[in-house]
Amino acid sequence: MQLLLFNAFNGLIQGVFYALMALGLALILSLNSVINMAHGGFLVIGAYLAYTLAPYLGFWGALVVGPIGAAVIGLFVERILIRPLYKRPDPLYTLLLTFGLALIIEDLTRTIWGAQGLPFQVPAALNSPISSVLFFITGYRLLVVGITMAVMLGLYFLLRYSRLGIRIRAGTLDLETVSALGVNIYLLRALNFGLGCLLAGLAGVLAAGILGLTPPMGSSLIMPSFVAIIVGGVGSLVGSILGGLLIGVAAGITTTYYPAASEAVIYLIMLIVLVIRPRGLLGQEGLFE
Amino acid sequence: MEAAPSRPGNERKTVLEAHDIHAYYGKSHILHGVSLRLGEGEIVTVLGRNGAGKTTTMRSLMGLTTVREGRVQMLGHDVTRWPAYKIARLGVGYVPEGRKIFGNLTVLENLVVPEARSGPWTLDRVFKLFPRLGERKAQLGRQLSGGEQEMLSIARPLLLNPRIMLLDEPSQGLAPLIVQEVMQVVRSMRDEGLSVLLVEQNVPLSLAIADRAYILDDGKVVYSGTAAELGANHELVEKLAGATAH
Ligand SMILES: Nc1ncnc2c1ncn2[C@@H]1O[C@H](COP(=O)(O)OP(=O)(O)OP(=O)(O)O)[C@@H](O)[C@H]1O
Ligand SMILES: [Mg+2]
Repeated sequence: MQLLLFNAFNGLIQGVFYALMALGLALILSLNSVINMAHGGFLVIGAYLAYTLAPYLGFWGALVVGPIGAAVIGLFVERILIRPLYKRPDPLYTLLLTFGLALIIEDLTRTIWGAQGLPFQVPAALNSPISSVLFFITGYRLLVVGITMAVMLGLYFLLRYSRLGIRIRAGTLDLETVSALGVNIYLLRALNFGLGCLLAGLAGVLAAGILGLTPPMGSSLIMPSFVAIIVGGVGSLVGSILGGLLIGVAAGITTTYYPAASEAVIYLIMLIVLVIRPRGLLGQEGLFE
Repeated sequence: MEAAPSRPGNERKTVLEAHDIHAYYGKSHILHGVSLRLGEGEIVTVLGRNGAGKTTTMRSLMGLTTVREGRVQMLGHDVTRWPAYKIARLGVGYVPEGRKIFGNLTVLENLVVPEARSGPWTLDRVFKLFPRLGERKAQLGRQLSGGEQEMLSIARPLLLNPRIMLLDEPSQGLAPLIVQEVMQVVRSMRDEGLSVLLVEQNVPLSLAIADRAYILDDGKVVYSGTAAELGANHELVEKLAGATAH
């Protein structure tokens, strides 16, 4: 029983990272119409920036600056590489571009920081378990869940009540009409892309504290994050979160009984969802349905 | 200045002028050199059969479809190939064909999207003009009736405090009473000094409120004149606009 809980909780943490990644991917997919294969790259950028800056800024400073750095680099990438491709309706162009970008970021990371894994030090106080029975629940893991929940809540309020968020939602439905109403959709898409990269960077920093840093950490998280979107339903942000948590926990639980299948189960869930409910758990047109 | 009495529009200051514009969808050539002009405070209607190129003309003026050849001037600027949002910010409101309400957004959220410019049109004033929108401001756009959606589609660009309004078939699919209401709104916009370019299938109604009219056919202007002249020429209307004028 304790082992099951242990693995389920590990899966939940993993699911939190999938959910953060899937959220950003879904935002970028629905407004920018870009299948961002480089999303894992922004996770890596956030993580390594935090690692590099932690000696100067401390853990908490790095936790804030890492994701912001990922977002700023995301803004440059969007402006210089992706924006010229918006006028091509075929998503293949940006798919190939971001795929190449993912490889470049991973190799650059390897060149700058080395191929070997690096540890990301979290404050010692956060590393001790909260009880001896639930030895696997450390302060840091609670922090990961807490920060993620706070960020998701913040994102919800942003999209629900701010003018920027309302315009993002309108743009996912009909970007052309948004522009005819005087909204600078170039800026809107850029901010949305940056927001998605911010979430990826945050996932990177948080994950680094548990999994450590390796150059391929982004590419190993990106496929399950796409699966999370498909399971949750394309177009539904809440669905992406649910999908991420669901496959994370399912993989964790599977580890208890049949570790070899823990990754396959993610794709099995996708298969089952696609057969029973092709539009995903919450998939409908538009966000927050 | 020589004023032609039969063309009252010529005496007014020009706020919008299209010179010989050409537009394409992919490889198909849709507009073959459309020229038209809108004077300040005028209502000008653009008529034509289905597929004549009315919507493409409006989209080209608004910067949504690329003008490959020719020029578009608005409010003293050459706006050819400007992005739509810059044209809108100049003070050009656009009511698209099919209304294009954001169905998953509430009425109020639909009204928050436009880049509001200062002027007489505020949310309060919009709700005064369209009380039903005020009553339904928490409802989703897709839950509105066709008439209410049309009101919302007109209300959105009004918040830009435009000087020019481009309306693409605002009466489409609406009950006659609602159509009257919409036309009344168009008339009151003009009375406030807006210049209105109105695409319509409902020929008698649009000729009744317009000062001048153009007829498009196969991507070309085949007639231009005063609305009164055209209204008197039933045969011509029937032949070119595919509708009767009585
Ligand atoms: N997206 C598109 N792709 C290709 N061809 C198009 C597209 N939209 C319109 N067309 C074609 O362009 C021509 C002009 O269409 P347009 O919509 O401008 O006509 P319209 O006068 O507005 O017609 P309606 O009265 O039906 O609204 C038509 O032949 C139409 O088939
Ligand atoms: Mg049309």
